[in-house]
Amino acid sequence: MKPIQFDYYAPTSVDEGLDKLTELGYDGKVLAGGQSLIAAMNFRMARPAALVDLNRIPELAYIKPTDDGGLAIGTMTRVRRVEQDAEVAKRFPLLREVAQFIGHAQVRTRGTFGGAIAHADPAGQLPAISMAMNANLLVCSKTGERWVNATDFIFGPFMTVLEPQEMLAEVVLPPNPPRTGSVYKQVSRQKGGYAQAAVIAIMTLDEAGACQNVRLVMMSVGETPIVSEKAVEILVGQKPSEQAFKAVAEAVVTGEIDPATDLHATADYRRQLVRVLVVRALTEACERASKGG
Amino acid sequence: MGAIGKSIKRVDALGKVTGNALFPGDINKPNQTYAKILFSNVPHARIIKIDASEAEAMPGVVAVLTAADVPVNEYGLNNMDQPVLCGPGAVKPYTDRVRFIGDQIAVIVAESEAIATRARDLIKIDYEMLPVVTDPLDAMKPDAILLHPDKGSNTFGHYLIRKGDVSNAFKQADVIIEAEYRTPAQEHVFLQPEAGIAYIDEEGRVTVEASGQWVHEDQHQIAHALNLPLEQVRVIYPAIGGAFGGREDISIQIALALAAMRLHERGIERPVKIIWSREESIIGHHKRHPYIIRSKWGATREGKVIAAENELIADGGAYYYTSTKVLGNATLMCTGPYEIPNVHVDSYAVYTNNIPNGAFRGFGGPQGAFAAEMQMDKLAEALRMDPVEIRMKNILHTGSLLSVGTPIPGQVNLEEVLRQCALKAGWHETPSGWQLKASMKNQGDDGSKRRGIGIGVAFKNIGFSFGYQENCTAEIELHGDAEIDQVILKHAGAEVGQGAHTVFIQMAAEALDVPIDKISLIASDTAVTGNSGSVSASRMTFMAGNAIRGAAALALEKWQNEERPTVATYTYLAPKTTPYDPHTGRSEPNVAYGYVAEAAEVLVDVETGELKITKVICADDVGKAISPNLVKGQIEGAVVQALGYTTIENFIQKDGYTLTKNLSTYVIPTVLDVPDEVESIILEFPEERGPWGARGMAEMPVLPLAPAICAAVKQATGVWFDEFPLTPERILTGIGEFEN
Repeated sequence: MKPIQFDYYAPTSVDEGLDKLTELGYDGKVLAGGQSLIAAMNFRMARPAALVDLNRIPELAYIKPTDDGGLAIGTMTRVRRVEQDAEVAKRFPLLREVAQFIGHAQVRTRGTFGGAIAHADPAGQLPAISMAMNANLLVCSKTGERWVNATDFIFGPFMTVLEPQEMLAEVVLPPNPPRTGSVYKQVSRQKGGYAQAAVIAIMTLDEAGACQNVRLVMMSVGETPIVSEKAVEILVGQKPSEQAFKAVAEAVVTGEIDPATDLHATADYRRQLVRVLVVRALTEACERASKGG
Repeated sequence: MGAIGKSIKRVDALGKVTGNALFPGDINKPNQTYAKILFSNVPHARIIKIDASEAEAMPGVVAVLTAADVPVNEYGLNNMDQPVLCGPGAVKPYTDRVRFIGDQIAVIVAESEAIATRARDLIKIDYEMLPVVTDPLDAMKPDAILLHPDKGSNTFGHYLIRKGDVSNAFKQADVIIEAEYRTPAQEHVFLQPEAGIAYIDEEGRVTVEASGQWVHEDQHQIAHALNLPLEQVRVIYPAIGGAFGGREDISIQIALALAAMRLHERGIERPVKIIWSREESIIGHHKRHPYIIRSKWGATREGKVIAAENELIADGGAYYYTSTKVLGNATLMCTGPYEIPNVHVDSYAVYTNNIPNGAFRGFGGPQGAFAAEMQMDKLAEALRMDPVEIRMKNILHTGSLLSVGTPIPGQVNLEEVLRQCALKAGWHETPSGWQLKASMKNQGDDGSKRRGIGIGVAFKNIGFSFGYQENCTAEIELHGDAEIDQVILKHAGAEVGQGAHTVFIQMAAEALDVPIDKISLIASDTAVTGNSGSVSASRMTFMAGNAIRGAAALALEKWQNEERPTVATYTYLAPKTTPYDPHTGRSEPNVAYGYVAEAAEVLVDVETGELKITKVICADDVGKAISPNLVKGQIEGAVVQALGYTTIENFIQKDGYTLTKNLSTYVIPTVLDVPDEVESIILEFPEERGPWGARGMAEMPVLPLAPAICAAVKQATGVWFDEFPLTPERILTGIGEFEN
């Protein structure tokens, strides 16, 4: 199918873009890489009256190291660039690891880092990653800007706190403390296809080898990515152990996720996957953390 | 000389990589109209009334055609049991019924596709819903609702084989294996969904340019439905975006031709164009048949299979299509490439309200081979015998009697094909027989990952079977004075991506002893080319080669006699075959065969059920590789398609409705899902009936891969899977790690 008729604007600066978004209000929709939005429009699941295309605003594409050891990534930075950037690989090896699971090379070459987060697809890797990495998101509008934590940014499938006149401008990833290990695990029917279930684990160990902090996020098993509270409850302050990881997996499966049955897998199978992937992800994250991250 | 046996640049390569090649959807003509087809969207119903008045009144609508507009409202490749358009108003009884969701009801012709689509949605159908039957076992019951009441039964095909005495032989057997196998449907997913354009050509012929596999058969079916003399219908194939059997049957061709003819009759001289979406393609054309195969085989302690009893039930879907032909092949191949003295087979094709099932690369072979190879592996296990060893003990040799009681034609090199595959895959021959090397028996110690290896072997017919007089026509023109300056080869054979046209030119160059660049090809146009038969049954290299060789010999003879220009036409008639005897199944089924052995290495994650095919080794006796690169391409392509069939693809229909209507739900392997390594072993044992010894080969690698993978998964997990696709969930459930 083809999209319904829509107006198209291609601002060349952030100010111009924000002006246009303010003018359009609920009729306007930001176009970033278009890897999800255009398909949704072709299927007529999305019917924006007007698109504001950010692709001609070069100032929105960048990867800048921050002084504290983190990174600031401009919203229009292509996923492929994030995947291949040496500084990203050094500071956040997880991003390179996860990128290979995002669609195919063509999708990543076009798709953007910020666009994927703002799209908030519950089956998308980057919204879940932004939550796991505790990202801070810079949201701009004509009248000002605000910072939103990724966990507060997404509140439902394809739903974020972005107002129509706002755009996501920058994603700031805080640095990993020393002795942090991170891992992404997924099972899908087809490489580059949607995950049937996926798990992200980021674990920081203290000097004594106990778990200082853990972020465990499940994906494709609920309406949004799910940040586990049980993992924190069970692991923080404790020496990591296989038994503890299994306890986390069981607590997550029984209390925190709500997978659905679809054509590709039953809810029960997805629970089983989470059970296995949580233990694998925590184990590997812990190993990496103990090697220094 | 020397034009064959080497990999020349494909003659269609430049056009396809530059985008200059025109596929049906790319063809536009001045003043064209656009068509949409209204599908029934219900699996079983009688149409009481069609109200198209609103659609007809819509501005921009040129015509709305329904059943009453079809001169002879029936078509079908092997049996004309399908209405062109379902609905009241036709003379033939029961054409007012729809029997699957893709049955066509109306053709809407409009100024744009958008208008045609909107008009289609304004057509009101008054249905009387009928009970839906989707399980062939239910459809076979005496009280089942009949899809075609005039036929008296839903079972529309039955073959049997009675060789020797199985019940007595089972008494002699030291081991007996019984199992029920289920193979799934498969969608072709050719790159280019159905599309075409129809118009009245300069000589007044109703002309259809669309994709297909056999221009003359399309022409025949169109002419029949339109009640036109054959010569008043012309079918032309432009570039074709894949076929795999999925274009054997009619999809849009008759609807388009009907529209062009009716517009012309109304004084509207405008071409009609249609492009199906992927969803329309998936609903609108047939699938590979799901089969239920019940097997009981017995062997002696020494590993000699002495009895094989099989019952096959094929879900034919709503219409006949090629079901009985597919069934004929499956009936022959369900006992594998083995010489078994006592064979008892019954096979049935059954109507259901599922999407019709029909031709798909392998054509009954993969289903039959799955049961046969699984049975061999289980017998080997029960006898503590190596799977290669048991196959070697039973394999067909030159002169062996087939299950149908006649010797297999030609030289049979199966033992060598299997030997080469087995050696490459990790087997070796010891004084006590074939053994898998100890290092390959290890399941591995990589945590939850288990390794396994399996092997399978198969034979595949070349050409149409069971009494069909195989034929193929080629025409050659020689131009020049003292020397041949230019050769024009006219041949109807379809280039569906397999490289047929390149091979035709190589064979013509070889036969005429002229350089390849002197030959130009005019192809696939019923107005110009003689009947070639279909590109199916792995037959085109074999049949076209023989036709081209014959035409070349005639042309050279005329050239010697100074005819300028020379025109020579030759129709190759293959040696005769015979149909199944209705009481014993005895027959001489096929002209020739190709032989294949395939080994698969897998890695199974026993905690998640994930299955990775790490390596496939495929040994194929192709007789003569006219173009080795194209042969390799066919092997690798077939391996990927068979891998999808076995592991990833999962076509789901529920109560007659298709749930996997697009490529996000019907998932197929991408380049990232192919095995790490596919090793093609191209063997050239000449087939005496083939041109330069060539057999056909494009289907056979599909046959043994599913059972080879299942055997590998068995080695890795200890569990037999008698049903596929091997989705992670099925594997995990099967190995008992998880209860669903």
